[in-house]
Amino acid sequence: MSIIYVLIPIAILFVMLGLAIFFWAVRSKQFEDLDKEGFSILFDEDQQEKQPRQDNRDK
Amino acid sequence: MAISRCYHCHEPVLTGERFQLQIDAEQALFCCAGCQAVAETIIDSGLADYYKFRTEAAVKAELVPAELQNKLQQYDSADVLADISYQQQDMTEIELSISGMSCAACAWLIEKQLKKQPAVSKVSINSSTQRALLSWHPEQLPLSQIMLLINQLGYQASPFIADEQEQQFKQELNRYLKRLAVSGIMTMQVMMLAFALYFGEYSGIEPSHEGYLRWISMLLTLPVVLYAALPFVSSAWRSIKARQMNMDVPVSLALYYTFFASAWATVFQTGEVYFESVCMFTFLLQLGKFFEFRARARARDSTSNLLKIMPVTATLLQDETLSSCSARRLQAGDIILVKAGETLAADGKVLTGHSSVDESMLSGEYLPVPKQPGDEVLAGSVNHDGVLTVQVQQPLQRSRLGQIIQLQQQALHQKPKLVEKTDQLAKYFVERLLLIALATFLLWYFWLDSSRAFWVTLSVLVATCPCALSLATPTAITCALAQLNKRGIMIKNSQALEMLPQISHIVLDKTGTLTAGHFSVTHCQLLTTAYSKPEVLNLIANLEQYSEHPIAAAFSRYLTEILPLSDISIHIGQGISANWQGQQLKVGSAAFCQQTALNNAMVYLSLDNQPLAAISLADELRAEVATLVTNLQQQGLKVGMLTGDSSNQPEQLSALLQLDFCYKGCNPEQKVAHIQHLVAQSHKVLMLGDGINDSPAFNAAHISVAVHSGSDLSKSQADVLLLQPQLNLVQQLLQGGRQTSRIIKQNLAWSVGYNLIIIPLAVAGFVSPYIAVLGMSFSSLLVVSNSLRLLKK
Repeated sequence: MSIIYVLIPIAILFVMLGLAIFFWAVRSKQFEDLDKEGFSILFDEDQQEKQPRQDNRDK
Repeated sequence: MAISRCYHCHEPVLTGERFQLQIDAEQALFCCAGCQAVAETIIDSGLADYYKFRTEAAVKAELVPAELQNKLQQYDSADVLADISYQQQDMTEIELSISGMSCAACAWLIEKQLKKQPAVSKVSINSSTQRALLSWHPEQLPLSQIMLLINQLGYQASPFIADEQEQQFKQELNRYLKRLAVSGIMTMQVMMLAFALYFGEYSGIEPSHEGYLRWISMLLTLPVVLYAALPFVSSAWRSIKARQMNMDVPVSLALYYTFFASAWATVFQTGEVYFESVCMFTFLLQLGKFFEFRARARARDSTSNLLKIMPVTATLLQDETLSSCSARRLQAGDIILVKAGETLAADGKVLTGHSSVDESMLSGEYLPVPKQPGDEVLAGSVNHDGVLTVQVQQPLQRSRLGQIIQLQQQALHQKPKLVEKTDQLAKYFVERLLLIALATFLLWYFWLDSSRAFWVTLSVLVATCPCALSLATPTAITCALAQLNKRGIMIKNSQALEMLPQISHIVLDKTGTLTAGHFSVTHCQLLTTAYSKPEVLNLIANLEQYSEHPIAAAFSRYLTEILPLSDISIHIGQGISANWQGQQLKVGSAAFCQQTALNNAMVYLSLDNQPLAAISLADELRAEVATLVTNLQQQGLKVGMLTGDSSNQPEQLSALLQLDFCYKGCNPEQKVAHIQHLVAQSHKVLMLGDGINDSPAFNAAHISVAVHSGSDLSKSQADVLLLQPQLNLVQQLLQGGRQTSRIIKQNLAWSVGYNLIIIPLAVAGFVSPYIAVLGMSFSSLLVVSNSLRLLKK
């Protein structure tokens, strides 16, 4: 059973990683509008290609 | 054949195939020109996906009026733009509130349309708060163009400035999320280890393993007690300093007592550990608080969207040249030009021009007031037909509008408060509880068994932990808020919900609340047989389109067919004439149409001086008012009216509705005085109103309710908002309040009863901490599920 001395700390590391990702998501405002992002996957980008997007210049 | 529905707004199509559009292979039908135009814009912009994926029908669209462009151009002047936006390097950033959004697809639609504009560098739309954050180059694309683009998609945009409090709410919400994540994730880990320890207890475990698992549990609980549970400690500390003990005192005491007891047991390898209870308790409490906070933040967001920026611009007349300027910069002595349909930007005196202005929002008077040179006009009133030049006498802050806003602030400080029952109960309960815990410790330490003193005291604290008690009110209120919101009632101040069952008097405003606040056609008398009623009304509607007068608005819904009219001329104070099929068509007063006046009729129609029809208009009572008043009176409530109208209409209405009291001709100060008089007689008063003149009275009453069509100012002040144009909602509101208070009472009865039974057992040492935790969790669950019943009804 001494394996738990290794496995539990590894598990804790993963937990810390998960928490860090969650904090980052909150800070980058990903929880402010939960409806819109769910929709974004439905809309094809195809239609945009017919009318090229012009907002790339500031990237 | 089934009624076809509008492709855009899904309302029934009543106009046959007049409005249609070819979309891919499909022939789409529309209910009106507005929806058709919006759909055309959407399809032409290559955004047809909107129709494929939206989950809600769009709001019925109005045609973009030609004068909108002019109105929006007010926002382009440099000093106005500086007032409402921020400069970020070479970009300008602005927040817009957008009305008419029904689902997330709307947000996508607007975002895509704006992103196509080369001058727009960043746009992000939040569909839950209905706001857009935009940064762009104003010199390449004026703000008016952007707002027009949004308008063409069927939404209305208006500039918006988020106040500081809202920023704080947002940050607080993020902090809640983080704390929730920490306590939630840690609870899972610690619970897992706790199960290993439970089984170890049952089937034996090596002492080294047990010690290891306990140390790990303690390590994982540390972030919970040091980070997630901190708000409880700070709130408890604040309440102790203010000598007003609240629920957070025993909550934090139990949390930290349990944690340190378990830590002590871990370090010295004795006793029991309860790390999992610490974590779960924190998580559950945080969850409850988070939902309550989020509901409050949402209500706040949607009402602050209503706070459109007040009359922003004025047209300044200087040395015979016109320039637009920000209303806030007007000085006494400036001369401004006010066109028909515009809102007056300052108090002043009319220099030239004749017109009638609508002062109903300020005085409750629903008839337009005629103005001629020498008359005084008030900021916030709307100019109807003529062009006026006005000499400013007071800057906006010192105008009548400004005074009303000040009066409202004063009344807010004197707002009657009802002490929250649960807070009182908590204070009483917490003090007794702490005394009992202390007595138990002393009793066991000195007289019974000093080695058990620590653990018995722990079980007293845990068993009696006011978890259920502290969840009793917030959970019930959160559920009630959600349920009422679904029915179209928005409660901004959750304290109002607890006060509702105590209300004894309901005070109603007249204009705009009991009545629609505008004219509607009551009777149409035909004076010829050549035309039918719909034809006559359509003729009038066609002519009245060109007028800004409130009478004109009464006819807009009778417009069924657009007729070719030429030579349209508006005669101020008299009527409108035009050429139709070579004949002269006239709408207006009896004298203007050269007819003899008939009783009650206000509008006449003539064709080549041949009388066609006479129409009576009135500010009609809302249909549901009579039954509402009777129902409220049957419930034992006193219903009365408080109005600024000084005609004899209030008495007639009062007699018709059999009101208990009626005061007419009140200015805002008198309204406040009447309500404060009722409050002084220890009545509990609910005020229902709509206008700016009601908003000071709102703050004098215990609960204020603003109706759907109310002014922005009154909506932002009210405790409760009706989201639909139905006064019946007041009854649902009262019913919801009673239900909520019943559930709260049940919750309190259960949690207090449970504590009364468990305290003697715990003090006697019969309850081991494990059982105490089980009992506490069970009673909290019971309280939460009881509150959830509010959602079902």
